[in-house]
Order: sequence, then structure tokens, then C-alpha cells
Amino acid sequence: MGSESLTYAVWHHTTLRYTNSVSLSYNEVRMRPRDRGSQRTLTFSLLSNPAAVPRSRVDYFGNYVHRVDVTGPHDLLEFVVDAVVENSEPRRRRLPEWSPEMLAANPQLEYVLPTRRVPLAQSTRSMWTEWNGEDRSFDAVIATAKRIPQELRYVSGATTVESSIDDLLAGGAGVCQDFTHLFLAMVRGAGWPARYVSGYLGPTGEKTFVEGQSHAWAEVCGADGRWVGLDPTHGEFTGAQHLRLAAGRDYSDVAPHRGLFYGRAEGARPDVLVRITRMSHQQVEIVHRGAAVHWQQQQQQQ
Amino acid sequence: MDELAADSDAAPGIVRHARESNPGRESAPNMATLRDSTLPLGADECVEADGSARGPYMELLGAVTRMRSELSSIRQEAQDWFVQREITFGTPTDGIAPIFPFDPIPRVIGAAEWRTLHRALSQRVMALDHFVSDCYGAQRALRDRVVPGQLVYTSTGYLRDIVGVRPPRSTWCHVSGIDVVRVQGTFHVLEDNVRIPSGVAYALEARRAMEDVAPEWFATSTVRRIDDYTTRLRRILQRIAPRPWEASIVLLTPGSYNAAYYEHKLLAKAIGATLVEGNDLIVSEDEVYRRDDGGGIHRVDVIYSRVNSDWLDPLVFRSESMLGAPGLIEAWRRGNVAIANAPGTGVADDKAIYPYVPAMIRYYLGEEPLIDNVPTFDLGDRTQRDHVVAHFDKMVLKPVDASGGYDIHFGRLVGSEERATLIDRIDADPRQWLAQEEVELSKAICMNPDGSLEPRAIDLRPFVLLDERPWISPGGLTRVAADPAELVVNSSQGGGSKDTWVLSR
Repeated sequence: MGSESLTYAVWHHTTLRYTNSVSLSYNEVRMRPRDRGSQRTLTFSLLSNPAAVPRSRVDYFGNYVHRVDVTGPHDLLEFVVDAVVENSEPRRRRLPEWSPEMLAANPQLEYVLPTRRVPLAQSTRSMWTEWNGEDRSFDAVIATAKRIPQELRYVSGATTVESSIDDLLAGGAGVCQDFTHLFLAMVRGAGWPARYVSGYLGPTGEKTFVEGQSHAWAEVCGADGRWVGLDPTHGEFTGAQHLRLAAGRDYSDVAPHRGLFYGRAEGARPDVLVRITRMSHQQVEIVHRGAAVHWQQQQQQQ
Repeated sequence: MDELAADSDAAPGIVRHARESNPGRESAPNMATLRDSTLPLGADECVEADGSARGPYMELLGAVTRMRSELSSIRQEAQDWFVQREITFGTPTDGIAPIFPFDPIPRVIGAAEWRTLHRALSQRVMALDHFVSDCYGAQRALRDRVVPGQLVYTSTGYLRDIVGVRPPRSTWCHVSGIDVVRVQGTFHVLEDNVRIPSGVAYALEARRAMEDVAPEWFATSTVRRIDDYTTRLRRILQRIAPRPWEASIVLLTPGSYNAAYYEHKLLAKAIGATLVEGNDLIVSEDEVYRRDDGGGIHRVDVIYSRVNSDWLDPLVFRSESMLGAPGLIEAWRRGNVAIANAPGTGVADDKAIYPYVPAMIRYYLGEEPLIDNVPTFDLGDRTQRDHVVAHFDKMVLKPVDASGGYDIHFGRLVGSEERATLIDRIDADPRQWLAQEEVELSKAICMNPDGSLEPRAIDLRPFVLLDERPWISPGGLTRVAADPAELVVNSSQGGGSKDTWVLSR
């Protein structure tokens, strides 16, 4: 925990409404922060309404998944996540390039192959050449992340969760999910393993509170096996304010909610509200002390 | 490529190729003399070049020749036997599924030939099972460049949600059907079916039919029994159950519109399993239950699944699936239910992986493969692709994930315009295609409705059950091309079957 470390209280509220009462629903939720490097989740809770006991596992990509089965009639399902996450500025390292032979026998190969949402099309390959020429170095990767927000406009509502890279390029505007998919297509086309990261963007500087949606960015893997975060929405390296939730090949692997229900009803898009508060030193102290109190209590009981 | 099915691939159906050339049939006078005196030439499976019967066929063909006048009535009785029992294969039209065509002259495999084939198939299935286990474990073969990681990661059979799972007894491919063809006297593997291979019921019924309609044929040869297949199957299913002492087994079928539904019914009855569809199953607290007609709820320990694994659980795989039950995969992951074959075996069943099976055998078992593949080319590789284009007339091109004999192209039969279109299709998505050298399938004597005999191309699908060691039912399902000129032996393409005899000495 360095001097630049920031601690955030995250409140993530999801509401699913069904047009009619459903008798049973099965849900997979990816909402527990996945710590890596400088990030640490100090406290976490996931509650649902109607109440159910979540069971957790870790998926193929290393994300936490909670299974929440709700039995009995319900026409509304809510998930509330409360977490305290601490993060500090990650190191901005320069990544060594891969040779195709090296990558062919490495598990990170998974992250250069095309997916449904990130096809490796001629359009994105040409864009890379237009922007970077024949340069496929990590500098060109950084340049690409910086250039995307200059070339495309961030317009909330310009696209939907199902929009493709082609939709983004045709309209010239999109949101973080679209920018990230485009960035992934470009760097993968240039031979760099890269993954989609979902998470939150905490307030920095003077601001101590934000309310809104979740965020998305990318991580690129070097030949040394190290991952570095790049945010193609803001055109920069990720910082202490980027709180990681889940990572995968594209949005489909990290979707925060996936579910099925029984009943004559239709499900609507979930309403999502995220509130993030940067905690003061005193508040952080309380969290730590709380943990210490419980720890002492436990020691005494033993 | 195993099961026929609306959703996936075809049951006793695969793609076989044979050359059309058939010298014995061309000259009519020759044919006439043959019909009266001896056996049709060109049936290299049964008859030597000089017209005498091959060793294993000696007794059978003697009996067939002696009973020349009764042959058409035997054929008719056998057909009636299949009709009476409603032994169908194929998708029902107007509610009636077609009767599986059946040829009454058995295919015979000698004891020594079978021993060789048995060893080779045991070896192959062991290696395939190791490979599946490795794909969902440490992926050693990928790191050691035995199998290209790219093929595994782009395979639709590779199920990421089950990586890290160890199924009971560490067995994945409990039931496999390895399709072999005999080319110039030597068996080759054409395809490995380790997902939901079907056809065994047709082999079992073919034997019962022959014992009924031509019992005297069995008197002359010492034919090995095959009726303990279902006992063996039940035993391995019981052994993987979380509660083996009171294992309750269900057979999960996609339903009555599935081409192999007849087989599902027959096997369920024979192994003492309840035949269920996805909506009969319910998962609660990671335990699997089945609902009975009276509204009762019963715990399920083992699912013998005839549903492709990516349809088993809509929560994990395809959300549109109505064939499975949500939560099933998590129940399996936690060891509360066993599923055979284990989900995810499709990765070893991908035709693009098939060329690497000999390498797997060397890698996992440290042995030389005892049976060869048909020469196969990876179209994603530039050099191999160019070789295929340069030798187009000698190639058969097929999509990697189709089955039932659809979209198969014989290079020499493709016109020059279509050829350009086909090559474009392949170049656009080389991962989806596979090229194999066209091979000449062996031909066996088959009977026409009028009792006359003629040679037709055949293949063989032996069924391998795997517990700690493989067990192979003697013989398997022999499939027959629909007519003498047919190049593709596939039940979905109108082909039929024969009884398959393995001699005990």
C-alpha cells in the first residue's frame, strides 16, 4: 500500500424486472472484484432480493462467479454489491513483443484469436496499418489506445450492449464497451494477446463521489507473461481509479448477469446503478480496524 | 460427429468414400455366369481376386451359395423383422420414421484380423481419452506442440466452462464409435466419434434378426456373441455413479424427432435406465432430480446423455437450448451427478484434430499407432492447402463440424467453376474444412430385392466402452452404401446396415 493508494467504497445495484411473475430463476453473477497486482478487495458482500444463498466458483478466465437461484414466485430481482476496494497506481511497463512461434504454444494464444464480438476483420487490420504502418511494437499499441478516443466520439446511448465493431465504425460514436472491442481487434490483429476487462472507474482529484455505470478497458499481455492495462476510452494507461471486476476475451465472457427463468414473462434489460465513493483515511482506518477487531475476537475465542 | 440429430450430427451415419469403378458389374454376360455359378467379383471384402471366398467367409458363403433359391425369402423375412419391430432411423415425416434398411448377408471378420483391430482401437481410444483429459487439465500436449493450441481454442467442442473438472474415475470418453474402413486389405480410421456415437442398437437388432431368419448360417461358423454390450454399458455407468450402490440411471434423449430415438428407447430398456428429456430433469441445490408422470421426484445419479454437451445446460452453454436442464453442469462439476460421455469430449471429435491422433498416441502412450489415418490435410496450413489444390482430383473435402454426409465434395466430380467457388469457400474459412485423400472402400456382397448379389462399399463402426481399460464389443455396426455406385456410406444418405460377425477362431 503506497502513498498513492486509493480506497473506494463501491455500491453496485442491479434490478431485473419481469413483465409477469416467474416461478424460478437461475442466475450467474460476475460482480465480485477480481484482484490483481495493486488491487485488493477489503470487504465484499452480495445480497439478493428475494433473498438466496449465493454459491461461488472461479471461472475459466479467473473471475468470481456467484450462482443465485431464486425459488418461489417473483416479478423483480435485485442484486446489491457492497465492496471496499483499495488500489494504487500500477507500474507502466513496456512490454516485450511475441514471436508467432512462441505464442503458438502458449495459453495466452486464447487472447489473440477472434471471437464473436471481436472478429479480426480486414477493416480493423487496415486501420492498424493506416495508423501505425508496419510497426507492431508496444509503442504502436499505446499509440492505438491514445488515438481511438481522438478518432471516435464517446456518445452515451449511441450504441447498445449488442452493438458490433462495425456499428461503432459506421456511426463514429460509441461507449467504453465499443472502444474496448475495437482496441482488442486492432492489437490482436497485430499479434498481441489482449483481454477485455470490466470494472469501475473511481473518482479522482477533487471529486470523491461518482454515480453512473460500470466501465470497461483492456489489458495487453507481453511475451514475459505480464499484463498491462490500457483504457482506449480515455487513451491512457489504467490507474489507481480503475477497479477490476472481471476479465475475458470480450464482453460476453464478463457480462455481470446471465440468467434464466421459468414463467410466462419477459425479462427487460437490467437497471444498473453504481455509486463509488473515495474513502477518507479515517474511513479506511475504520474498515481496517473492523477487520482487526474481528481478528482479535477470534483469537480470544480460540 | 456422432449422433444424427436435428441439432447435431448423424447417427449411424458418416461419410465414406469409394471409387465408382467396379469392373465386375460392367460386362453383363460375365455377371450372368457369376450369378449362376459363383460370387460377384469386386466384393473384395468377401472374395479373393480369383473368385474364391476369403478365409473368414468360407463357411458363410458356402451356406449362402447352397441356399441360393431361398435368399430372396430370407431377405424379405429380415425386412419384415425390422418393419414389425419398427426399427427406424431418421427424422420422422408425418410422424413416421423410416425403417432402417438392412442387408441379410453378414459381414465377417476373422479372429486374427479382429485381434489386431481390437488392439489398435483400444490404443486409439486410450489416447483420445488422455487428450480430452489434458485439454481440460494442464494442456501439456499444447505446450509441447503435439497438437496446435489454435485448433483446440477454436474448436466448438472445447468447453471453457469445464476446464479444471475431474470427472469420476477420470474417464471422459465412456462410449466411443471409431469409424474404420478397409483400404486394399488394411483397416484405416476415417473418423473418431467420442461425443454421442449412435448405432449400437442397430447392430444388436441386426444380430437378433439374423438369428431368427437364418439360424442355419450360425451353425457353420463360430460367431462371437454381442448381447452382453448392454450389461457392460450398465456396469460402467454404475461405476461412475456418486452412489454406486443404488445408482439411478437415466438416458437423456433430445426426443422423438431425433433420428436415433429408436436406439435411445431400446438402450434405456436394456440397461434399466429411465428415458427422459430435458424438461423431465430439475436441478435443485446442485442435485439432479427427475419428475415422473405422477408428479413424483426422484434423485438422479447418472445421466447417459444422447444430447450434445453444449446443449446440456442453457445456463452455461446455449441459452436457447430446450434439450437440457439449467444447473446441470454445476451439479456435474460438484460431483453430484455423473454424465456419460463427460461433457467436453467434442474437442477430440473435431475433424480438424483428427490428423493429430497418431501424434497423441506417441505422446501420451509412448507407442507407435497400430492403425493409420486416411491421409488428411490441414487447409489452414499454406503448404498443405496448396498440395490439396494441386491434387484436387484425388481429394475429398468436408466441413469439420458437419455430419450425416452433407456438403461432402469429391474433387474429381467437382466442375471447374464449382471448383473455384469451393476453393474460395475454403480459403475464406480454412478452419472449417478438411481435405482427405479419396480412398477406395472395400466392398461386400449385398443382396438385391430379386435375390441377385452385387458388391457395395462398406465401413465399420466398432463400439468401445472405456472404464479403466477399453472393452470393445466384437464387431460393431457395418454400414452399407445405398447402391453399388454410391460413394458415401451414410445412414443419413440412405445407406443401410448388415450383421457383423467376429469369428472366435
